[in-house]
Amino acid sequence: MKQLIDISKELFESKKVAYIIGYAEDKFKRVKPFVAHSSLDAETFVFNNYSVNNLSVYLTRLPKPKDGKIGIVAKGCDIKSIIALIQENQIKRDDVIIIGVNCNSVVNQIDEQFSKENTAIKCKYCQVRTPAHYDYLVGEIKEVELPEDKNFAIMQKLDSMSAEEKWNFWEAEFEKCVKCYACRQVCPLCYCEQCIVDKSMPRWIDSSATTKGNFAWNMIRAFHLSGRCIGCNECERACPADIPLSLLNRKMGMVAMNEFNYRHGTDINQPTLIGNYNVNDKEDFIM
Amino acid sequence: MNNYVLSKDQINKLTQELLTSDYKVISSSKDGRRFVAISSADDLMINSNQKPSAVSMKEFFFPKTETLFFYKRNKDEYDLIDAIEENQLQIIFGAKPCDTSAIPIVSKVFNWDYKDVFFNKKVENTIIIGLTCNFIDENCFCTSVGLSPISEKGSDLFLIPIDENKFACKVVTEKGEKFVSSHSNIFTQTIDEQSINTNDIKIPEKRFEPKEVKEWLDKNFNHSLWDELGENCLGCAQCAFACPTCHCFDIVDEECNHTCGRRAKNWDACQFEIFTKHASGHNPRNEQDKRYRQRISHKFKYYADKFDEILCTGCGRCTRGCPVFTDIGIILEDINQLAKESISNN
Amino acid sequence: MENEKFEPKIVAFVCNWCTYTGADLAGTSRLKQQTNARLIRVPCTGRIDPVFIIKAFEKGADGVLVSGCHPNDCHYNTGNFHARRRWIFFRQLLDFVGIDSSRLYFSWVSASEGKKWVDVVDGVINSVRKKGRFNGYKRLNKETEIPVSAVDKL
Repeated sequence: MKQLIDISKELFESKKVAYIIGYAEDKFKRVKPFVAHSSLDAETFVFNNYSVNNLSVYLTRLPKPKDGKIGIVAKGCDIKSIIALIQENQIKRDDVIIIGVNCNSVVNQIDEQFSKENTAIKCKYCQVRTPAHYDYLVGEIKEVELPEDKNFAIMQKLDSMSAEEKWNFWEAEFEKCVKCYACRQVCPLCYCEQCIVDKSMPRWIDSSATTKGNFAWNMIRAFHLSGRCIGCNECERACPADIPLSLLNRKMGMVAMNEFNYRHGTDINQPTLIGNYNVNDKEDFIM
Repeated sequence: MNNYVLSKDQINKLTQELLTSDYKVISSSKDGRRFVAISSADDLMINSNQKPSAVSMKEFFFPKTETLFFYKRNKDEYDLIDAIEENQLQIIFGAKPCDTSAIPIVSKVFNWDYKDVFFNKKVENTIIIGLTCNFIDENCFCTSVGLSPISEKGSDLFLIPIDENKFACKVVTEKGEKFVSSHSNIFTQTIDEQSINTNDIKIPEKRFEPKEVKEWLDKNFNHSLWDELGENCLGCAQCAFACPTCHCFDIVDEECNHTCGRRAKNWDACQFEIFTKHASGHNPRNEQDKRYRQRISHKFKYYADKFDEILCTGCGRCTRGCPVFTDIGIILEDINQLAKESISNN
Repeated sequence: MENEKFEPKIVAFVCNWCTYTGADLAGTSRLKQQTNARLIRVPCTGRIDPVFIIKAFEKGADGVLVSGCHPNDCHYNTGNFHARRRWIFFRQLLDFVGIDSSRLYFSWVSASEGKKWVDVVDGVINSVRKKGRFNGYKRLNKETEIPVSAVDKL
C-alpha cells in the first residue's frame, strides 16, 4: 500500500497530524488497528480484505492531541460513522484528516480465507466502495463478487412470525448474552460518558445477566442507536455469544428510511434525526 | 487406579444412562462455540480436533449471574432467605486440558480467606471428563504455562483417543474412581497404562518462560509498553468473560418490587472503566493502559505471588474473540524478549 | 382462579402541565372513571426514555399509556415533538421484538380536557382487558423472584 504509506509519511513530516489511526499486521499476519505516532510507524500500514475494524471508534476514545490533527484510514462504511460523529458534534471536521480507501469488501469470518462465501453481508449493499467523503483517496477499485444476504431471509421470517414466536426467538438469543458490553465498546456511536446501564441510582437496566436484564439492555441499545446506527455491524462481530445484533439495528435503520427518508452519516450538514423534530411528523397512533 | 477402554457405543450408552438419571450432561455445542447441557445422546460432541469454544465452561461452576440470597420486608425488618441449595449433579464430557486445569487454579482463590460455598458445591457435584487436544493454532500456548495437550490437571477421568472408535480412559481422581464403580456395566475393559500411546499427539513448542515474564513484571510497573497496549484495547471485557480462569465478580442488590429482592453475584472485569471507580468519583485505573497492565500483572505476577499458580491456561480464547486482535501470546513473548534484553544489559 | 375476573394494571406516564392537570380536573369535576390506571407524573413527555416503558412492562403492567400536551402547546415548547419522533421508532422496535405495541397507547390531553382524559383512560383499560394479561415477562421474572418453596419456609 505504497500510496497510503507515502501520504501518511508526508502528513507526519509536514507536522499536520499528531497521530494516524490505521491498520497494521502483527507477526501472524492478522490485520489489526494500529496507531502510528511517527513516519517510521506509518511504514507498517496495510489495507486489504481483512481490514474489518471500524477505526472511527478511536476518535472518541483516544486523547485529543494538543498540536496537529488526527489522521484516520477509513473505508466507505467507516467514514459514515466519522460523518455521523461530526453531525453529532463529537468531533470537528477540521480536526480529522480522512484518508479514504477504495474498498473491495471485507471478510466475514476473520480466521478463514477471504472468498465470496466469506464476505461480510453489509458489503452486499455497499454504495460507498469509493468513499463519499475524504481528504485523500488511495487504493484501486477491483471487481468483487457480492455475497448472499443470509439476514434478509431471517428478517422476512421474523416479520411473518406472531408476537409470541418473535418473543421466543429473541428470548433464546438474549438468554446467551453475558453482558460483556463488547457491543457498546466497539460501537463508534456509543460514546456516552456514563452509559445508562452503568447508572445505579436509579437502576434502570439490571447489570445481572438475567434474560430479563439482557432484553432491556439490547432493546435500549437498539433504541438509543435508532436513526444513528450506520450499519458497520462491528457489534455483531464482537459479540462472544453470537447474538444477531445486526437484525435489530437494521430494523431501526429501515424505520428511519421508510418513515423519514433518512440515512445517518451521509450528509455532513444534515441535522440528526432523533435530535430534531418536524411539526408535521405523523401521529396517526396518537389518540 | 485402573485404566479402561471405552468405545463410542459405550460412551453413547453411558450418556443415555446419565440423561435418564439425575445428571446434567454437558458437552460442546454442535457448532463448537459454547458448552451446553444436552438432552439427547446424539448431541454429545467429543472431538480432539476441535477449536476451543468462544466462551469457557466456567458458567457451570461460576454462573454469569447467581443469587446469593433473597430478602423480604417484614414490617420494619428484613427476612433473609437463602437461595435454594443446588444439588444438581453435573458431568462435563470432552473438556480440553486448558479448560479442566482452570478449576483447580481458580479453586485456590475461592478457598483463600473465605470459602465460596457456591463454587465449591458445584465443583463437588461435577465429574469432569477431560480429553487430549489435537488442535493447535497461533493463539494458544498451553505449554508455556506449565500445561500440555495431555495434561490431566483438573480432570476426574481423562480420555485419550486410540482410534476412530475407541478411547483409553484414565482414572485420575478418587471421585473418578467412584464414578467408574457406579457404572461398572460400562467400564468393563481395562488397559495397562504402558499400552496407552500419546506419542502421536503434537506437543507445541514453549513460546515464553513465565518466570522471566514475572521477573520483568516485578520491576516494570511504569514501562512504556503499557501505553502502547492501552491504545488499541477498547475495554470491552470479552477477554475476561471468555477466559476460563478470570473470576472477578460484582455483588449487587436487585429489587423485585419494593418489598423484596435478591443479592446477586455477577461476572465483572477489570477492563471495565467503572471497575475501580470509588464512591468519591476517583478512579485509580482511569485509563485503559492501567487496566490492561492490571490484567497481565494479575495473571502472571500477583496470582503467582499469592498462590504459586499462573492464572492462565493458554487456551487463546481472549485472542480469538478480541475485536481488535490483541494477542496475549505475542505480548508475553515481547515481554520475555524485553526481560532477556534487560538481563543481558545488567 | 377462573372466577376472578382479570383486571388489567395500566401504568400512565403523564406530563405535569397538561395531562396531569386534566386528570386533576376530571377528579374535581367528580367524573366517574375506572381505577386500574396508576399515574406517574413527569415534567414533560420529552422526559420519557423508553426504558421507563420497558420497566413498566417488566414490573407487571398489562398496558402503558403515555399522555402529554397537544403539539404547539408544550410547556417547554418542543418536548412533545421530540417525544413523538421517539415513539415512532419505539413502537416498531417493540413489535420487532415480540411485545405487542398495541399495548402501548399515546394521547394528547390538555389541562382543560377532563372529560377526554376519562374517555382515554376508560378506553385503554377496556381495550387491555380484552387483550388479557401480558405474559411476556412472567417467565423471565421467575429467574429472579423468590422461589415459592422458599417463601413457604418463612
